[in-house]
Amino acid sequence: MSICSEWDRINPEEYVGVWAYLEVEDGSLSEAGLQMLGVARLLASQKDTYVGAVLIGRGVSSLAREAIYYGADRVYVADDERFEKYYPTLYGEALAYLAKEYKPEALLVAGTMRGREFTPYVANILKTGITADCTSFEVDSAAKDILGVRPTFGAYLIAHIRTLNRRPAIFTARPNVFPTPQKDLAREGEIIPTNPKVVDAVGVKLLGRSRFGRGAAPIEKAKILVSGGKGLGGKEGFTILEEFAKVIGGEVSGSRKAVDAGWITHDRQVGQTGKAVRADLYFAVGISGAVQHLFGIREVRCVVAINKDPDAPIFDNCDYGLVGDYTEIVPALIKAVKKIKASPQLITNFVNLNINVVNLIKGN
Amino acid sequence: MDIVVCIKWVPNTTTVNIDQKTGTLIRSGVPSVINPHDMHALEMALALRDKFGGSVTAITMAPPSARLGLEHAVGMGCDKAVLVTDMAYAGADTLATSYTLAKAISRLKFDLILVGQETVDSSTAHIGAQLASWLHIPYLYYVVDAKYLGDGKMWVKRMLEDAYEEYELALPALLAAAMHLTKPRRVKLSHKMRCKEEGVIEVWNNKTLGLEVNCVGLKGSPTIVKKTSFVAEVPRKKIVCQPRDIDQAAEWLISRLVEDGFLKI
Repeated sequence: MSICSEWDRINPEEYVGVWAYLEVEDGSLSEAGLQMLGVARLLASQKDTYVGAVLIGRGVSSLAREAIYYGADRVYVADDERFEKYYPTLYGEALAYLAKEYKPEALLVAGTMRGREFTPYVANILKTGITADCTSFEVDSAAKDILGVRPTFGAYLIAHIRTLNRRPAIFTARPNVFPTPQKDLAREGEIIPTNPKVVDAVGVKLLGRSRFGRGAAPIEKAKILVSGGKGLGGKEGFTILEEFAKVIGGEVSGSRKAVDAGWITHDRQVGQTGKAVRADLYFAVGISGAVQHLFGIREVRCVVAINKDPDAPIFDNCDYGLVGDYTEIVPALIKAVKKIKASPQLITNFVNLNINVVNLIKGN
Repeated sequence: MDIVVCIKWVPNTTTVNIDQKTGTLIRSGVPSVINPHDMHALEMALALRDKFGGSVTAITMAPPSARLGLEHAVGMGCDKAVLVTDMAYAGADTLATSYTLAKAISRLKFDLILVGQETVDSSTAHIGAQLASWLHIPYLYYVVDAKYLGDGKMWVKRMLEDAYEEYELALPALLAAAMHLTKPRRVKLSHKMRCKEEGVIEVWNNKTLGLEVNCVGLKGSPTIVKKTSFVAEVPRKKIVCQPRDIDQAAEWLISRLVEDGFLKI
C-alpha cells in the first residue's frame, strides 16, 4: 500500500496492548479517565492482551497504584516538573512519544474538554486515525482490529470506523457514556517510569486560572435531573424546575436551546454537544426530544417527559409522559411529593393508573 | 493582524427528518448552512480585525457548492475567501482534511487561525488541533475572549468545564472559538456585492496546491467508515397520558416513580 511520503512507516503487527490515558483532576484520577480504563479492560480481554494506563503530570506517580486497582496491568508514568501545567501541544507530544516508544494497538482518551483538545494533536503526530465520541466498540476477530462506533450526521446515524494500517488506533468517548469500573485492591500490575522527549510548550503561557464555584453539583454526577428546554418559554421557567429539583433531591439541567437562549449555563447542557448523563431519573420539561438531546440521555434509567405538544418526539422516547402545561404540572408534582412525604402509605392508593384521572394516549 | 477563519458548509442537521415508513434519513431538500459553531469564529475574527486592523480570509475545503457559504462569509465582512476543491480531496477524514487545509493556509499570510469548536454534522473537534500540528503553532480551544497585545502577542481567555483560564500566546497561533459565544453579525448587501469582484473568492484545486495524491482524500485517510447504521432506540415504557385531573395525575406519577425505585422520598 502506498502511503503519504510525509508519514513514518510502521508495522502494525508490532503494536499490542490497549491503553487508556488517565487525566488527573485536583490530584486524583478523573472519573472520565477511569471509564476509559474500564473500556480498555473489556477490549483487552477480548483481544487477550494487556491494559496500559498513562499518567502525565507533576507528582502523579502516587496515583499509579490506584490505576492498577481500577484495571491497568502496566502504568506508564511521566512524572516531571515539565508537565506541571497542561498545554495541549506539550501533553500531546508526551503521549505521542510514549505511544511511539511502547507501541500500543489502541489508545483511549476521555473526551473531556482537555481530552478533546489534545488527542487530535497526538493522532496527527503519529499520522494515525482518531475516532471521536465513541459510544461502543467492535473487535473484528478476522481483521484483528478494533472499530470505534460513533454517532454522526448530527447523531442521526451511527458510523462504524476502522483505522487502516496505522497504529495505535485512537478513540475518544464522552464522559459518562461508559460506566466507571469497580476498584479492586487485590489487583497487581507493573509501574513503568518514563521520560518523554518533548519540546517545551512554545509560544503559550498560562497566566491564571479561576474556578467558577459551581453552585450546584455537576449534572453528570446527579441521580435525579430536572431538565428544561425551549418549551419553558423563558429563563423564569427554571425557577419552578429548581424548586422541584430541590424537593426531590435533584439538580437542574437544560437542552441546547435553553443554553443558546442564555437561560442556563453550558456546563449544565445535556446532549450531543453538552453532556451525556447517567441519572436514575430524568425529567424532560418543555424539551421536544431532538436526536442530539436523546443522545445525552441514553443511559438514563427512567425518562419522564412533560410537554404541551402530544406529538413531540420526546413522548416516543420516555418511560412516563404527561401532556400539558408545565406551569400547572410541575407545581402539582411538587404538591404530590409533599403530600406523599407526609403520608407515605398513600402510595398504594395512587400507584395504579386511574383512567378517570388521565386520558391514556399510548402505553398501558 | 491577518486572520484566517476555517468554515465548513454543512447540512442543517436540525432540519433532517427520518422517513417513518422506511426508517431512512431524508437528506434531499436539507439546506446547507455555515456550521453554526463556525459563525462564532467568523464573528470573533471580524471583531478582532475591526478593533486591531488587518484582514480576515475565510477558507473551506468542500465541493464547489460551498461557494455559497463563502459568499455568506464575505457578506458578513470577510475581506477574502478561498474555496479549496478537487475530486482528489473527496472522502478525506480529519487527518487528510487538516493536511490539505494546512497546505492551503500556508499559501496565505496569517497571524491567527480561527476555527469553530466543532461541527454540527460530524462534531469531532479534530481539525483545529490537527491544523496546529501540521503548522507547528500553539493553539487553544474553547476561547471566549481574545485581545491583541501588540508585539506579536495575544491575550486569550478560555473556558473549561469548571474554570476560566487566561493565556498569553505568541503569534502565529490557532484558536477555537467557544460555542454559544457571540451573536454573529448579519450579512450586509454592500459586502456581499464584493463577491462579484475579481479575486475576492478564489478557487484552488490540486493543481494550485500540488499535493501528493497519497496524502489527500480517501488515500490520505487512516480511517474509513466500514458501515453506517441507525441509532438504536433505547427501549422505554412510553406510558403517555393527558391528565384530566392534574393533581391526581401528579400523585400517580410520583407514586409510580417511588414504587419503581427511581425516586426516594
